[in-house]
Amino acid sequence: MFIKLKRIFRFAWQSFSRNKGLSLQVVFIMAIAIFTLTSLFIFKDLSNFLIAKAEKKVDISVYFKKDIEEDEIFVVREGLSNFSKEIENIDYVSKEKAKEIFLERHKDDPLYLEALEQVEENPFLSSLNIKAKSPALYAQISSFLTKGPFQALVEKVSYYQSEKVISKLFALTSNIKTAGLFFSFFLIILVILMTFNTVKLTIFAFRDEISTMRLVGASSWFIRGPFVIQGFLYGILSILIVDILFLLSFAFLNSDLQTWLFDFNLLEYFQANFLNLFLLQILFAFLLGGISSFLAVRKYLKI
Amino acid sequence: MIRFQNVSKIYHSGKEPIVALSDVSFELEKGSFVSIIGKSGSGKTTLIKLLIGEEKLTKGKIFFKEREVHKMSSKKLQNLRRKIGVVHQDYKLLFSKNVRENVEYIMQVIGASDQDISRDTPQVLELVGLMERQENFPQELSGGEKQRLAIARSLCHRPEIIIADEPTGNLDLYNTFEIINLFKKIHSFGTTVILATHNKEVIDSLEKRAITLEKGRVIHDQEKGKFIL
Repeated sequence: MFIKLKRIFRFAWQSFSRNKGLSLQVVFIMAIAIFTLTSLFIFKDLSNFLIAKAEKKVDISVYFKKDIEEDEIFVVREGLSNFSKEIENIDYVSKEKAKEIFLERHKDDPLYLEALEQVEENPFLSSLNIKAKSPALYAQISSFLTKGPFQALVEKVSYYQSEKVISKLFALTSNIKTAGLFFSFFLIILVILMTFNTVKLTIFAFRDEISTMRLVGASSWFIRGPFVIQGFLYGILSILIVDILFLLSFAFLNSDLQTWLFDFNLLEYFQANFLNLFLLQILFAFLLGGISSFLAVRKYLKI
Repeated sequence: MIRFQNVSKIYHSGKEPIVALSDVSFELEKGSFVSIIGKSGSGKTTLIKLLIGEEKLTKGKIFFKEREVHKMSSKKLQNLRRKIGVVHQDYKLLFSKNVRENVEYIMQVIGASDQDISRDTPQVLELVGLMERQENFPQELSGGEKQRLAIARSLCHRPEIIIADEPTGNLDLYNTFEIINLFKKIHSFGTTVILATHNKEVIDSLEKRAITLEKGRVIHDQEKGKFIL
C-alpha cells in the first residue's frame, strides 16, 4: 500500500515537472479561479463593512410633547427595548441637553443665538435617539411609537422626514447583497467550468497512455492517482501565487486603498482572516483540481 | 488454457457493418507456441484485443483458464491482463515515460519491489539491446527500437502468456530472427507464446502450430504449420 502510494506521488511529480507547458496552463487557469474566489470572499466582507458603516449613520429620533415628564420617557425607552431585540442603542436627550447641543453647534452663529435668546422658554423637546441593527426596522419602530401605547406622548418621529433615505438605503443594501450573491454564484460556476475544461483538455492529451496503462493491468487508482495528485499540486501552486499577489498588492497599496474604501484596512483584514481564507482556498482547489482530474480520467478508464 | 468458442466480432462504426471475426473456435494449451497467420485485415489484431478484453464480443465465448474473459469483473480482468504480456502492433508505449520507466511501470503495476525492479529492468533492456537508450523517450526512438521496447515491456514481468502482434514488422531480417529466437527461448521456460504475423520466413522457420485466418475465419489450423496465403 505504502509503496503504491509512493509510486503514485512520484508519477504525479514526474508528470507535473515534465509537462511544464501544460502544468503552467492549468496553474494559470486555476489561479484565476482561486483569485476570483478570494476576491469574492474579500468583497463579501468589504461590502458588509461598507453597508454597516452606512447603516450606522442612520438613526431616528422620537420627540416628546412639552409637558411629558422624564420618568414617562424612560418608560417609553423600556417599552422600546422590549419591543425589539434588534434595537442597538437608545439615547435619551433631555430638553436641556438638546439646548446645549444647539448652542455648541451654533456658537459661531450669532443670528441663531440671538433668536434663541428671544424665546424665553426652552423651545427644545426631550427626545430619544434610536439606533437599530438594520434600517428595515425603523418603519416598525416609528409605527410602534405613533400608533402604539405611547402615541399620546409622542410629538413627532423623525423617521417620516428621512423615510425616503432610509428606505433607499435599505433597498440598496438588500440589492447589493442579492446582486453580490448572484454575481458570486455566476463567477464561481464560470471558473469551475473553465478549470474543469482545462484539466479535461490536459488529460485528453494522455488518453492513449491511460488506455495503455489499463491494458497492462494497472488498477483505476494506480492510473487515476497521479492525475488527482497533480490536480492538488496545481491547486497548491495557484494558491501560493494568488496569496503572494494579494499580500504584495495590499502591502504596497494599502494606504491608498484605505482612503478609497472608507477606512477598510485590507492588509489587516487579509492577515486577520488568512487562516479561514487559506482553508477555503485549499478546499476549493482540492475539490476543483482533484474532482476535475478524477472525472476527466474516468472516461478513458472504461476499457 | 485459452479457448475461443464460436467467437464473432462485428464493428458497426461505418454505414456497413464490418465482420472482423466470424465463428472462430480453437484451443491453446499451457506452454504452447502458436502463430496466428493472416493478411492485413484478416482479424489477427481483433482476436488479440478480444482476448485481453480491449474489445467486446459480438458473439461466442473466450475462456482463460476456464474463466469466461468477457464476464470477468473489472478487478479480475485487471489480474488477467497482468498475466499477459502484449506486444501491440502500434506499440502502445507510454510517451511521457522514458525507456527504463516504460519497463519499470509494468513491474510497478504488478507490485514488484523496488529491488526486483532495479535488478530486472537492466537485464531486460540488455536483452533487447536498449540499455544505451534507457534514458530516452519513445518519441526519440526509431521504429525498430520502439518495437524492441514494446517487447521488453511485454516480458519484463515474466507473464504466463506473451502475445505479440506483428512484433517484427519494423525489424530487419537479422533483428527479426533475434527477436524470434528470444520468443523461442521464453517459450522454452514454459511461457505460452501467441505470435500474430504475416511474415512468411518467420512462420516457415518456426515449425510450430499455425492458425490461419482469412476474412475473420479460421481456414487452417495445423501443427508445424507453413505459410499458405
